[in-house]
Amino acid sequence: MRWRGSLHALHAEWTKLRTLPSTWWLLTATVALTAAMGAAAASSLTTRVCPTPTACHEDTVKLALTGVQLSQAVCLVLGALSIGAEYGTGTIRTTLTAMPGRWRVLASKAVALSLLTSAAGVLAVLSALGLAGLILPAPAPTLVDGATLRAAGGSILILVLVTLLGLSLATLLRDTGGAITLGLGVLYVVPVLSHVINSPTWQHRLQRWAPMPAGLSIQATTNLGRLAIGPWAGLGVLAAYGVGLLVVGGVAFRVRDA
Amino acid sequence: MTTPTKTAPPYRSALHPTRAGFGRLVRAEWTKFWTVRAWLLVLAVAAVVTVVISQLGASGSTTGGGPPVVLGPGGEVVNDSFRFTHRTLTGDGTITARVTGLKDASGKGLGPWTKAGIIVRSSLKQGSPYAAVLATPAHGVRMQWNFTHDKAGPSSDLAKAPQWLRLQRLGGKLTGYASADGEKWTRLGEVEVGGLRGTVQVGLFLAAPVHEIVHRSFGGTSEIAGSGQATGTFDHLTFQGRSKDTGWTATDVGAPPPNGPTSQPGSTTISATGTYTLTGQGDIAPDENSPDTVQMSFQGVFMGLLFMVALGTLFVTTEYKRGLIRTTFTATPSRLKVLAAKTTVIAAITFTTGLLATAIGFTLAQKTLRSNGFKPPEFPDLSLLENPALRAVVGSAVLLSLVAVLALSLGVVLRNSAGTIATVVVLVILPQILSFALPLPVAQWLLRVTPAAAFAVQQGVTYYPQVQHNCLPESGCYPLSPYNGLAVLVAYAAAALVLAAWTVRRRDA
Repeated sequence: MRWRGSLHALHAEWTKLRTLPSTWWLLTATVALTAAMGAAAASSLTTRVCPTPTACHEDTVKLALTGVQLSQAVCLVLGALSIGAEYGTGTIRTTLTAMPGRWRVLASKAVALSLLTSAAGVLAVLSALGLAGLILPAPAPTLVDGATLRAAGGSILILVLVTLLGLSLATLLRDTGGAITLGLGVLYVVPVLSHVINSPTWQHRLQRWAPMPAGLSIQATTNLGRLAIGPWAGLGVLAAYGVGLLVVGGVAFRVRDA
Repeated sequence: MTTPTKTAPPYRSALHPTRAGFGRLVRAEWTKFWTVRAWLLVLAVAAVVTVVISQLGASGSTTGGGPPVVLGPGGEVVNDSFRFTHRTLTGDGTITARVTGLKDASGKGLGPWTKAGIIVRSSLKQGSPYAAVLATPAHGVRMQWNFTHDKAGPSSDLAKAPQWLRLQRLGGKLTGYASADGEKWTRLGEVEVGGLRGTVQVGLFLAAPVHEIVHRSFGGTSEIAGSGQATGTFDHLTFQGRSKDTGWTATDVGAPPPNGPTSQPGSTTISATGTYTLTGQGDIAPDENSPDTVQMSFQGVFMGLLFMVALGTLFVTTEYKRGLIRTTFTATPSRLKVLAAKTTVIAAITFTTGLLATAIGFTLAQKTLRSNGFKPPEFPDLSLLENPALRAVVGSAVLLSLVAVLALSLGVVLRNSAGTIATVVVLVILPQILSFALPLPVAQWLLRVTPAAAFAVQQGVTYYPQVQHNCLPESGCYPLSPYNGLAVLVAYAAAALVLAAWTVRRRDA
């Protein structure tokens, strides 16, 4: 019975997401931007930078997956809109009247979003790597390689986790605009600060503990020793932000009025 | 039978609807802004966050010791070390020489700004006033004086033909000449350099700046310093004038070079046929590698910018969301006027708040930097009312306000807060992050063509064209000059405004 109820909740959230035109626009944008920016970054690898493929210092897999840095913003918007729009229009009250179990509502939103984003993420990552393989002068990255597989899978997880981050921030703030502003601040502004600050200690700390640089370390396939945080540990930091804030958002959702 | 009905004439405003004064419209928009408490709060938070983050950024930055710096006649930090073959000159005089060759002595390549030429300087002390004519491998013949001045001469290639150079002192004036054959002389320029009166040092010099080859990859940049050491050959050296010396003396001025990885003493050999061979390293040029204390005082602007984007967006998208926009357009049918009034109000509010925040933030950050070791003379006190500090403070406020205008215009076009905020933040901030990681040519291109170029206005270091410099985004260098960078953002905001004007007239509300 409980199981059936959860399935129904998930189905309801899926219907909401499916019937919004913005969802499909955003998912298309995720795929298109990841692929386009990956291709652009790969074609930037000119002979000025890489005289010969063997002398190339660039991490070609990471370069091909550069687009994730842009498309994660789209995913953040997707996550924030999925509950922020309900608060904006008042649908949240209808939702909660129909399904009083608030944890269940939030969980089914999270699951529906994760499924959609990971599907889009698979498409995005595969097309980015495929395009880069066509463009790059160096031997094209193949998915057989363990490091490449980790980078590709990690990139999909980044997109999913950032979507959850958007969902949890919007649940906490009950406002789309605020959630997106805060989310983009945490994602983008903190890494900029980590570069411009003129103190190696603080640079290192921010590189380790800010969600975006930490999460992106999963994309590295070469020079792992020079990373501020290991690939999986870095993704763990991002996951801690996404899932941790989702729990905090859930508690707030549970105790607050809609 | 009809009873005559008495109808009262309907109320008509004395103001013609389309001619309602612009002042009233601005006032109406201003009222809309300040009566929303959340927006005032966001504005206050933006100012506080800008100041606090600037302060945190400054307190995280420290500098310690390092070799003592050399200051030029203008008070700027300079590199001044080179191989000098010299004698004194009292009164008027002329020195002429032919540069026959310039080649690499380090095995790591000849830098484009390796200098071989003749120089007149007030003393052998580092940083003393000078004037020089010189030949370079990649930039032709130049006349340079007092470190920051550079004038191009004939662009002849030393590898193909020798180059004649002449420097003449007449009264207080120094005149530089160049010639391809020693017969026909081209005047390069005439300068009056303070401090070059009385007895001066004249002679041949050779300077080979350390030139850096950059290797960049994700996760780090490595700069390989090609140790600058070069050998220059001269002949046909003639000296006319009064000198208490009877011959030439050779000195390494400023050895060891302050940023040289290895320091080898220079050498001078004079052959019986009158060929002078000088080997040396170092440079005579402004130093552009010291940290930029102006730029370091504005790190909060990155964060403050987010709030300005949100304000600019919400100022128009909430009207669309709540339907207030229809009331607004009913009251003022001229839509362009509404857009103009909104733009004026948001630009004025964000500029004023931004200026307050950057001025306070800069002053506090400068104090913190002082106590963290950024002290005169290497880091002179910067007055808030003089460039580059004034330019950076006002420019950052303009940047914040332009970003808000960009957000407002995009908000009119997209009529949706989520999309607008995300688009503007991605446009302004993401290029910075990408520029740290992407290959250098693309990174520099990104910082030229995206709104992120505007952050160039915060730069306090002047990048002189006569210094070879790798413009690395991660060390805070922007490829455009401060005002050109800001102009890029102005262009974006103007284009967005035009687009907004076009759509708001064409579309239904």
